[in-house]
Amino acid sequence: MDVFLPIAQVFINPVEILLISAIVGVLSGLFGVGGGFLMTPFLIFMGVPPAYAVANEANNILATSVSGSTTHWLKNTLDYKMGLMIVIGGTIGTVLGIFTFTYFKDIGKIDTVISLAYMYILAIIGTLMLVESLGEIDKAKKNIVEKKKLHVHYWIHGLPFRMRFPKSKLYESIFTPIVIGLIVGFIAAIMGIGGAFILVPAMIYIIKMPTKLVPGTSLFVTIFVSVIVTFLHSINYGSIDLMLVLMLVVGSIVGVQVGQKLGEQIDSSGLKALLAILLLIVGIVIAYDTFFAEEVKNGVTSVSSPDLNFFSKFIKEFSEDMPFFYGLFSILFAIILGIGAAFIRRSISKFREKYFKKTVKQSK
Amino acid sequence: MHLSNLKILNIIANKKSTFIKTGIFSAIAACWGVILVGTFITFK
Repeated sequence: MDVFLPIAQVFINPVEILLISAIVGVLSGLFGVGGGFLMTPFLIFMGVPPAYAVANEANNILATSVSGSTTHWLKNTLDYKMGLMIVIGGTIGTVLGIFTFTYFKDIGKIDTVISLAYMYILAIIGTLMLVESLGEIDKAKKNIVEKKKLHVHYWIHGLPFRMRFPKSKLYESIFTPIVIGLIVGFIAAIMGIGGAFILVPAMIYIIKMPTKLVPGTSLFVTIFVSVIVTFLHSINYGSIDLMLVLMLVVGSIVGVQVGQKLGEQIDSSGLKALLAILLLIVGIVIAYDTFFAEEVKNGVTSVSSPDLNFFSKFIKEFSEDMPFFYGLFSILFAIILGIGAAFIRRSISKFREKYFKKTVKQSK
Repeated sequence: MHLSNLKILNIIANKKSTFIKTGIFSAIAACWGVILVGTFITFK
């Protein structure tokens, strides 16, 4: 049973989308990585045009980062001040990224640029992860324990315009978070990803933030970056498809919960090598698709005016007639879904705690 | 089993991790080869 996406103008199988976004969600929850750099290529493989895959995945990332960030806000593991500094850079980077996107779209090369960017990013991350995990396995076998210095200072820490960040207990130049935000925003706008794979290592190794504040702050930044990306893609190209976003959000939110629970029970360091291999395989498939399978790419069914149902017609007309409000609506839609998911998760865990306590008391 | 056969099995077991590492690094090299050659051909 295929469903027609009114904005992306392609038929997709909703069960496949739900299943794949759930699997990517499980991987995200298990390894603490954003799912964007896996989900966007999968959407492209399923026939969604790259420009649409990028925009809709950005909207999906908004929902999942709102959900994750709400949880961290409830736990008070967020550094707002540092987050806002990164957001300033992120905003500039996103606007620059959208200009670049527009340039390549105008010369008709955007699909190639997106594919090339994914191919290289996946190959680089895959290689680094594989080498690191092999090293870890080797060290674990030989029982080598490395002694690390408590605090190392680089030239970055001597930059001017320093500011105090009380939550992270840091006194650092504002240039560092702004430049990091700029890079993340630029990449997010072109590739439709949250940028956590750059942001998290940068926060730990360059800014030197306490590890417990990193995931929450990274998600907080991702919210702003993905809001800007979603909005700009929506008003410039009208490429947000709420039907696709709904499927992606449901699948990934459920998947992330399962992944986080699995992560609490199993040691995922050994599985890191498998994720790295998966990334490399996806990189090779994109390379094959881009360089050697032109005929297959051109054979994707694209339908211009089929008989749309009420919901699809509403989405299409809303997007075409009021792009500004449609952009705002898609942002609100993702935020509501994300907050809803966070509160449902909290109520379920409270209910389980209560139920568990009751059963323990009864057994005593 | 002959002593010579056992020796071979031991050598294989000792070299296992080296074989796996070589395999993985060749796979990475192949992956990068495909990507770089593809990019070169496309832009040429």
